[in-house]
Amino acid sequence: MAFYEENPQQVSKADIVVAIPSFNEAQTIGFAVEQAGAGLVEFFGNLESVLINCDNHSNDGTKDAFMKAASQVPKIYLSTPEDQRGKGNNLRNLFEKVRELEAKTVVVIEADVKNLAPYWIRNLGQPIVKGAGYVCPLYVRHKYEGTLTSSVVYPLTRCLYGRRVRQPDAGDFGFKGELVNQFLDSPVWTESIEHFGVDIWMTTIALNARMPIYQSFMGSPKIHRVKDPYAQLGVLFRQVVSAMFDLMAVYSDFWRMVKWSKPTALFGMDAQEVATPVPVEINMNKLHERFLKGFDDYFELWEKVFDQTHVNKLQEIRSLGLQHFSFPGQTWARILFEAFKAYSPMEMQQRSNLLDSLLPLYLGKVLSFVKKTERMSLQQAEEYVENECMVFEENKPYLVKIME
Amino acid sequence: MPKILVVDDEEHIRLLYSEELKEAGYEVITADSGYKLLERIDEEKPDLVILDIKMVDYNGLDLLQDIRNQYYDLPVILSTAYDTFKEDMKSIAADFYVVKSFDLTELKKKIAMALETRLP
Repeated sequence: MAFYEENPQQVSKADIVVAIPSFNEAQTIGFAVEQAGAGLVEFFGNLESVLINCDNHSNDGTKDAFMKAASQVPKIYLSTPEDQRGKGNNLRNLFEKVRELEAKTVVVIEADVKNLAPYWIRNLGQPIVKGAGYVCPLYVRHKYEGTLTSSVVYPLTRCLYGRRVRQPDAGDFGFKGELVNQFLDSPVWTESIEHFGVDIWMTTIALNARMPIYQSFMGSPKIHRVKDPYAQLGVLFRQVVSAMFDLMAVYSDFWRMVKWSKPTALFGMDAQEVATPVPVEINMNKLHERFLKGFDDYFELWEKVFDQTHVNKLQEIRSLGLQHFSFPGQTWARILFEAFKAYSPMEMQQRSNLLDSLLPLYLGKVLSFVKKTERMSLQQAEEYVENECMVFEENKPYLVKIME
Repeated sequence: MPKILVVDDEEHIRLLYSEELKEAGYEVITADSGYKLLERIDEEKPDLVILDIKMVDYNGLDLLQDIRNQYYDLPVILSTAYDTFKEDMKSIAADFYVVKSFDLTELKKKIAMALETRLP
């Protein structure tokens, strides 16, 4: 049960829920409510619908902004206690409410999206109404947007669980109401999942639930309020990777059986116009510096954790200099696999240190990606990512072998 | 013996694929268009579909959407003379994308991979 609930219209049943997790989003949540409400009326007018704000006890007036926003759709406000932060905790309250409302379709959208439009609700909800179990959006992205997804989350999720979900941690989803039972009963619930790790946690549970997964083409980028992508990079990286490793430990019986990967079904291919993503600037010198700094801070640990072949390979990569810098996909895949093997038996502090030590290597991998794709179109860069995923899949027997 | 359905409006492609894939140990059936393709799949229950994209009356990418919506896990390989269709977002619903060639090495490799793909 949520710590706090306001349900002024006494909603006790719903067919479809649109949920907006938040923390201090008073400036933006009104727009999200208006667009989501309009989407529910336009595309799901024949269903009983409700808008739910699952909040982190915001102190900037988010609740009032949500409740006052113009919409014909009834609203419910839920909140965690004051000292409990994180999107994961907000969603946990949502799951319980969905179970209580017996909702069949749930759509989650973020509160700070500037270009949210009513059709987004259709794209994330319609496949569920038609029988899908889980829907991930496919936003138009610049090649250097979402590098953690392109370099770690997508290839690892795809090679482990066998489904090609390109943006499995985009932050917005649609899912079948019954899936909340799997979420609430999950054996994995960590501090990372309470925060940034929750998106990939949800997708991974859906993949392991063997539900039909759709990707919905949104036809546009997702434009958030301006924030510095590197401001929380260390925390984001640590939480997402630790969530993935914790899930890998629990679902090992599943992923050991998966060979290669399969596509998903698609929705939203009728988009008339496709927007162009805003270019993302990357500072290659900074990436290179942080990669090199990793040798000063973590080389001793890497020597303990990684196979000697890969330690030698890292030294070779270091010696290339910026001009010829390249980080082979096979080395990257095997380093992540070996990191997982080392992570499993470690104490919390050791795990944290190991995850921190992977960050400079990840930045090196991003640098390599940027150098390889700087003259490529978005489509060509996308093919490059697909090829990197194949490298992960080809190397999966190595993961299975070292975990025996 | 895995059964492969080849959907292509060019007779010489159907013949070439049939001969070579039969030699490689597959059972092969063919269709010369996308007409009633879903019914055909329902009747024949192929293990894999090789689908041309640019056919006279049908667009293979639209047929792919229909197949994927009805037969979520049926392996489909897009086979086309043009590599530019790969830029169409719809093509990602295919297991693989192969550019037509008289050398079927790549196609056979992708067929083997698609058939050995294993999800619990």
